[in-house]
Amino acid sequence: MVSTLSAATARVWPGTTRPTVTMVPVAALKPAELSQKLSMPVLVAAMVAFALLGSTMRAAVDDSDALSTAGTIFAGVFVQALPFLALGVLLSALIAVFVTPDRLARWLPKRPAAAVLVAAAGGAALPGCECGSVPVARRLFGEGALGAAALTFMLAAPAINPVVVVSTVVAFPGQPQMVFARVGASLVTAIVMGLAWSRWGRTEWITRRLPRSTSGQGPRWLTFTEAARHDFIQAGSYLVIGAAAAAALHVVVPDWLIAHLAGQLLLGVLVMALLAVVLALCSEADAFVAASLTMVPLVPRLVFLVVGPAIDVKLFAMQSGMFGRAFAIRFAPATFVVATVSATVIGLLVLGGGG
Amino acid sequence: MSREAENTLLLLVGIATAMITIGGAFTRYVKPSMLPWLGLTAVVVIGLALVAMAVDIRRGVAHGEDGAAHGEHGEHGDHGDHGPHGDHSHRGSVAWLLLLPVVVLIFVAPPALRPQAFPPSVTAVSTDVLRREFPPIPDGRAPEVAVPEVMVRAAQDTAGTLDNRLITVVGFTLREADGVDLGRVAIVCCAADARLARIHLRGPAAAEAAALPDETWIRVEGTVITDSADGDSTSIPTLEVTKVTPIDEPANTYA
Repeated sequence: MVSTLSAATARVWPGTTRPTVTMVPVAALKPAELSQKLSMPVLVAAMVAFALLGSTMRAAVDDSDALSTAGTIFAGVFVQALPFLALGVLLSALIAVFVTPDRLARWLPKRPAAAVLVAAAGGAALPGCECGSVPVARRLFGEGALGAAALTFMLAAPAINPVVVVSTVVAFPGQPQMVFARVGASLVTAIVMGLAWSRWGRTEWITRRLPRSTSGQGPRWLTFTEAARHDFIQAGSYLVIGAAAAAALHVVVPDWLIAHLAGQLLLGVLVMALLAVVLALCSEADAFVAASLTMVPLVPRLVFLVVGPAIDVKLFAMQSGMFGRAFAIRFAPATFVVATVSATVIGLLVLGGGG
Repeated sequence: MSREAENTLLLLVGIATAMITIGGAFTRYVKPSMLPWLGLTAVVVIGLALVAMAVDIRRGVAHGEDGAAHGEHGEHGDHGDHGPHGDHSHRGSVAWLLLLPVVVLIFVAPPALRPQAFPPSVTAVSTDVLRREFPPIPDGRAPEVAVPEVMVRAAQDTAGTLDNRLITVVGFTLREADGVDLGRVAIVCCAADARLARIHLRGPAAAEAAALPDETWIRVEGTVITDSADGDSTSIPTLEVTKVTPIDEPANTYA
């Protein structure tokens, strides 16, 4: 791609469209019970209201460039992630049925360091998008070495799978060192975060509990569909937050931010790392976007490719949904720092300072 | 949110996915090659919703409706038989967010990205480092080449595969200061990574294109002027146009 192609941004973004759901206050019931009892009628009423308002909303979106761009980008991120999310929850449901924590613990090496390395290799072999790997990692998560291995898997699977490697090769023709640097830095990030978890992580940060995966109750197919259903609703809801945030940021992040990065290594690294977080591109497309930003030196672009699949607004939302907020607010910034530093160091070693 | 409402919302997400897949609107948001995957996703999501509904109906008949209040977690065992699990965390309300994509995809259906989404950005950078030999374009009198492909080849091709070749390019008209351009929005994966690709239209038939209103879809035949984009990213290649034909907007507007 040539860099006259400009980024999908527009000037104004008036605010996220959010479904407005008004609850009728009924004093007799507790709020939780109330929302339980009323949710179905409210859902039906909301669908009827949206159906009636449909043409008005469509006209409003068509009239505003910012709204239609944001709407299309929201739909783009969500629709693109959906098949990977479906694949992810099917895989995580299989895990819920067949991989009990003690069985997994028997398979994995006892020492955390060895378990983390095995998980990193496993993540690299499995093609998957980041949206799918969060629910899978949640299912694999457990005490001690298991937790570290699951988190390493979560970071490794989307960043260094075969599809991503191929798309990076295609996006950077004649620059194989970019591919090696990307794989290396992503692998280092995943392993460092796994080891950091086994050293400093605390299970009480994981506030979201999974429904008990019980093999004794009910038939296996029911365990499977219930686990898939639970994970899809949970991860999908947070994917909505992430996609909306990405769409909003897309239209407000100004272009000049990128245009002034030529020759500024440190500033470039920082800006590209933040850009990777806010744009929330899927790991199979980010290489092409990075390739098109020809005005930015190679090392910051490598940072963009390593940070994006590890942590972005969409993943942060999904992690806080699947693991809990206490976990996400610690794990996400740590991942950001580790990914940025490892990509910068490896980039300087492999690609050289000039970029 | 009650389990019943969650299942309904899940069904709606599946239906929305099926609708954009069957109706073809999905090409506004992602690549056409996603078609089979989106179809499978719709089947999986609708299937999960229907299975959960069927299970609940069977249980509802067996145990009466009072199980619904405990059904927030929606897991088997919540209903009478095994007693409620009791660890009611507060995840109930977040599922409401799934209503947003349902509304956006079914009722709003945002349009494909238009050129207005892309502000002009001008940065001069050498693309010398990317120069390489490209494979030849297809044989024939005037093979079709996509707008972004024309740009990349014009700027980076050392084999001169476009030199003195008549090509066909499809895109929409975009007026600019010195005439008219042919534009096309290019996506790699989904609408979030979209770029606006453009080439200048000049030569005998360019006036025809200039007379058309902005964003009219046209098919043009012409020859890329050699070295009109000389390895500098600001340079947009120029096409010497011999023929302009207005066409209908293609089903997939992205390149």
